[in-house]
Amino acid sequence: MLDLGLLAFIGFMLVAGFKRPFLWVLTYIYIDLVIPQKIGWGIIASPSLKLSLVAFVAAFAGWLLLDSKAGARFTARQGMIVALLAWCGMTTISALYPVEAAEKWAWVWKALVFAAFLPLTLRTRLRIEAAVLFIVLAIGTIAINGGIKTVGGGGGYGTLHLLVDDNSGIYEGSIISTAAIAIIPLALWLARHGTIFKPDWRVWSFTAALIFACLLIPVGTSARTGLVAAAVLGVLLLRSVKYRFVYMGVASVLMMAAIPFLPASFTERMGTITAHEGDQSASTRVAVWKWTIDFARDHPLGGGFDAYRANSFTYQTRAVTNEGNSQSVEYQTVTESGRAYHSSYFELLGEQGYFGLGLWLVLQLLGLWHMERLRWRYGKRAGREGQNPGRASWQWGLASALQQAHLVYLVGAAFVGIAYQPFLFMLVGLQCALWSYVKRTEAPQAKVWARPGGNRPELAQPAE
Amino acid sequence: MIDIFTLALTHGLMALAALLLLGRADLDDEEAGERPPRPWQRRTPASDED
Repeated sequence: MLDLGLLAFIGFMLVAGFKRPFLWVLTYIYIDLVIPQKIGWGIIASPSLKLSLVAFVAAFAGWLLLDSKAGARFTARQGMIVALLAWCGMTTISALYPVEAAEKWAWVWKALVFAAFLPLTLRTRLRIEAAVLFIVLAIGTIAINGGIKTVGGGGGYGTLHLLVDDNSGIYEGSIISTAAIAIIPLALWLARHGTIFKPDWRVWSFTAALIFACLLIPVGTSARTGLVAAAVLGVLLLRSVKYRFVYMGVASVLMMAAIPFLPASFTERMGTITAHEGDQSASTRVAVWKWTIDFARDHPLGGGFDAYRANSFTYQTRAVTNEGNSQSVEYQTVTESGRAYHSSYFELLGEQGYFGLGLWLVLQLLGLWHMERLRWRYGKRAGREGQNPGRASWQWGLASALQQAHLVYLVGAAFVGIAYQPFLFMLVGLQCALWSYVKRTEAPQAKVWARPGGNRPELAQPAE
Repeated sequence: MIDIFTLALTHGLMALAALLLLGRADLDDEEAGERPPRPWQRRTPASDED
């Protein structure tokens, strides 16, 4: 039944794509994020039915054969994605663990190719909006499910059951926490500027419920990464809200009100963020990170995917227990091997070496910078014909939302190995698309890329 | 039960969005909105005539 429903939806999307081939791109976004093959357990889960591949080929062939290429540009950042893809391919060939590396390569290449391809298809505002909508609803599917279950009391670290039985990929607690928090600014943008679902009370009610569900995901999964991500988003939003003091007041009241309702397991686990010496998970991370730095010195070109399998180390954890008036400190010696990186930055350093890490970092930082430039450009501008002025413009809103989502993800990425997740590369693809859309639609009227302080003195003042 | 509800809700919204997109000319071409709509896209033909 479940399988039939999912297949019916995918079938509908594929058929509708014959009228509008762009819908195949949306279908791929959906399949890559939700992974319906994992949700169902009948026909849809059968490995012979290569749903992801079908959607990928349809999206690509649809664009190549049926879609107009007018306005499609290949930006420098897309070039970097292709370079990263080539580099990853090379390290996979010379990988320390060829079998495991090939397994990871099998999904990484698709995420990278799709990211380089996506901006070519996002030529119009409506397409950009549709892609954002599908990303939000896809991640929202998991977030709403987890949110409801958390309210119902089904949470706990590694125990919250999110649609599927395995705790991997996007369904892993820390990853979905980061992604769920990252879609909040995008959902807010859709509620404000959406044209598919125009802003009205229904859209705002759904958005409010979705945001609430997203905030519940770090609680439900007890993932510390999620709490850090939510805190970062709270601070970032401060930069973009109109009434800062009202926002700060409301946010602190809500936070104070929420604390008594948080489950004890959550508050206990969050308490270990600062006292990490007694925590094996945190100690392992630090040990793996040190190991990776040494590993990169010996393998400057990277060890290929899953190079972490080479690690093995012994370390001590320190636990303090209180018994009456006395305090006892217990040291435990732990030996572990093949521990994952628990950080995207170290994941890249170990797997792709200095060059791969550098390339990836430039790709990410350039995205943040581009979005900042768009914020400057639109922030202080009077509205043109048919456009909202300044901060009310959809471009300013989307640039801000993409920057916030990206930053939240990059902070979360410091604690979990999510450097190649399709979700991240979809954000990158959207940024490329918005950047090249603005460049194309605005270039004839003014120099888009004027630096503040250059020939556009009104942009020289910092944002309010 | 919760799973079915969530899947029905978001998939329903995605399907509805896809349906709405099918009828939007500006999905493929932004200038399409500035041209007069094709006959089958007119909802109120009378208002288009003036």
